[in-house]
Amino acid sequence: MTSSGAFRERLLEAWMEIRENLGRASLQALGVLLGVASVLGGFSISDSQRQRAEQLYVRLGGLDKLNVQPRATVRDGQATALQQANLGLRDEDATDGDALRPDAIQGVSSQKNARSRVVSGFADQDRPVTGIGGDFIPANGYAVEAGRGFSASELEAGAPVAILGTEAAATFFPSGSPLGQVLRIGEVPVTVIGTFQERVFRFREDQRNIFRWRNRIIAVPANLVQRRMNGDAYRRVDRITFRIPDLKVMAAFSKQLQDVVTANHRLQDDFRLDDVQARIRRQNSQGDVYDLIFLLSGVLALVGGGIVNVNIQMASLKERVREVGVKMALGASGREIFKGFMTEALLLTALGALAGLVLGVGFSWTITRSLGVPLAMTPASFIWAYVMASLSGFLFALYPAWKASRLSPMEALRYE
Amino acid sequence: MSTIIRTQGLTKVYGANGTAVHALRGIDFAVEKGEFVALIGPSGSGKSTLMAILGCLDAPTAGTYELDGHAVHGLSGGELARIRNGKIGFVFQSYNLLPKASILRNVELPMLYAGLGRRERRERALALLEKVGIADKADKLPAALSGGQKQRVAVARALANEPALLLADEPTGALDSRTGAEVLDLFRELHAQGHTLLLVTHDPSIAAQAERRVEIRDGKVVMGGVAEDPTSSAQPGAHPAAHHIGVGR
Repeated sequence: MTSSGAFRERLLEAWMEIRENLGRASLQALGVLLGVASVLGGFSISDSQRQRAEQLYVRLGGLDKLNVQPRATVRDGQATALQQANLGLRDEDATDGDALRPDAIQGVSSQKNARSRVVSGFADQDRPVTGIGGDFIPANGYAVEAGRGFSASELEAGAPVAILGTEAAATFFPSGSPLGQVLRIGEVPVTVIGTFQERVFRFREDQRNIFRWRNRIIAVPANLVQRRMNGDAYRRVDRITFRIPDLKVMAAFSKQLQDVVTANHRLQDDFRLDDVQARIRRQNSQGDVYDLIFLLSGVLALVGGGIVNVNIQMASLKERVREVGVKMALGASGREIFKGFMTEALLLTALGALAGLVLGVGFSWTITRSLGVPLAMTPASFIWAYVMASLSGFLFALYPAWKASRLSPMEALRYE
Repeated sequence: MSTIIRTQGLTKVYGANGTAVHALRGIDFAVEKGEFVALIGPSGSGKSTLMAILGCLDAPTAGTYELDGHAVHGLSGGELARIRNGKIGFVFQSYNLLPKASILRNVELPMLYAGLGRRERRERALALLEKVGIADKADKLPAALSGGQKQRVAVARALANEPALLLADEPTGALDSRTGAEVLDLFRELHAQGHTLLLVTHDPSIAAQAERRVEIRDGKVVMGGVAEDPTSSAQPGAHPAAHHIGVGR
């Protein structure tokens, strides 16, 4: 007989035993079931939160960004002492950075902010104005809905044109299309050439839109801000963003850029690099702590279930001594008895674990739904939960099975 | 005529020095192939201990035991399990059928341990049940059978791997006299077919059914330890070691 045939026979035997002792078997499986469900549930909840966070970054314009920002920004034209002593972040840093790895950098954008009085025929407000350059619009997850974006020549020349977010458009032009209308920013009349799509992102369904402020944007060419609003002789900017799709290049580039910009800034550390991918890694590593906690609680559940199983097995072994004796008399070796008990325990573990996976999915679904986060489950969670259950099932089955296999056939036969 | 059982100076001592109980005190005993031997003795005589050792369920403290030409004293637990599986068929007073397994599976079990294929097991088990006259009960559980029927199943199971020796321990002890007599008829039938039977009993009337009676008392053979046959006087060492121990021989 092939070994698979022998295994099938043991499996059949184990199944008969389980079916005959459904109450006892259910109790034994219950411990495994709860352990698996708690491991899987924990993992899924943390995976779901993580996936949601990643979605946020994708909606923010992608993960492949490296931002450079001044440590202290110029507000309303008032430079800090540090910036007065140095040159600050400026367009030159962007061109120097781009020159470092022109092969890997897919796009560079800069941002130059101003705060100004903004006036239309309907409203008159003090508002931030965002001067944009390069591929700012896609890099930050914006998309033009009506009208058009800035042309290269408009960006270069600092033409008096603007694109409005939905809230800004509704505020300054509550009736009729804003396209072609004129808006006065400070002393500069600008023509509205487009509007952005509305930006919406909620972590949970019932939370407020955390992208709400993005709909308030009034975007103009950065050169317009530089030349006619709050520019200075150094052509300072408020942010430079490099897009590097190849994330392996990112870390090396980040170091090179640090050196170049530091040199440009007369060795002053007046800027900071913000690697979006690294930020997510940091956040994910916080998530790892939660994973560990969930894992630990699952392990404890499995260990608790395992100890209960050993007790039940030892108690049931007393009822089965005679049976073991008969099997031994018919020629079953101690190893055969051991394998039989192990097969039974492992089958029970497998069934309990399967039920636990089903329960765990339901459990995760209920919790993520009550949180308002879409459910995300990874195959790794299932594998982890299953492997841990099988391992604990195996370890805790060893002792009762070993005990049974060591019975003396004669004493077992005479056992009453 | 070859020898199935040959023991020399078989001794079994339970417990340590001070409180040692000498269950067997040097048993010299032989059973030839095809014999029907009754082992009799009062309770406490050591016949259960002898039965356990002859059945390879227990190991002797001293002495030699050859079963079907092979020395089995001093074998490991796994090796003894193989000998029990292939060479010995047990019939117990309390039947010892597995209550959760069907009649068919009970009979298949020794063949399962011997490693026989599924189809072969089934065919042989059905043939054996046919032989003992209860093939129609194959799919029933033991609880659905009468005592006499259960003992027939036990006999079928004992024959599963064509053992060299059938060991029956008080096989009629739990049966009324009529079904007991039927089971004894079955044994005589098996004997007539050439099987070697060793029947352990305390009942002289049952022992009278056997060809030969061996009486044991206080751990010693007091009557009929060896068949009075001149050809059986060969020494144990004379058997060739090349004789194969295996399933179904």
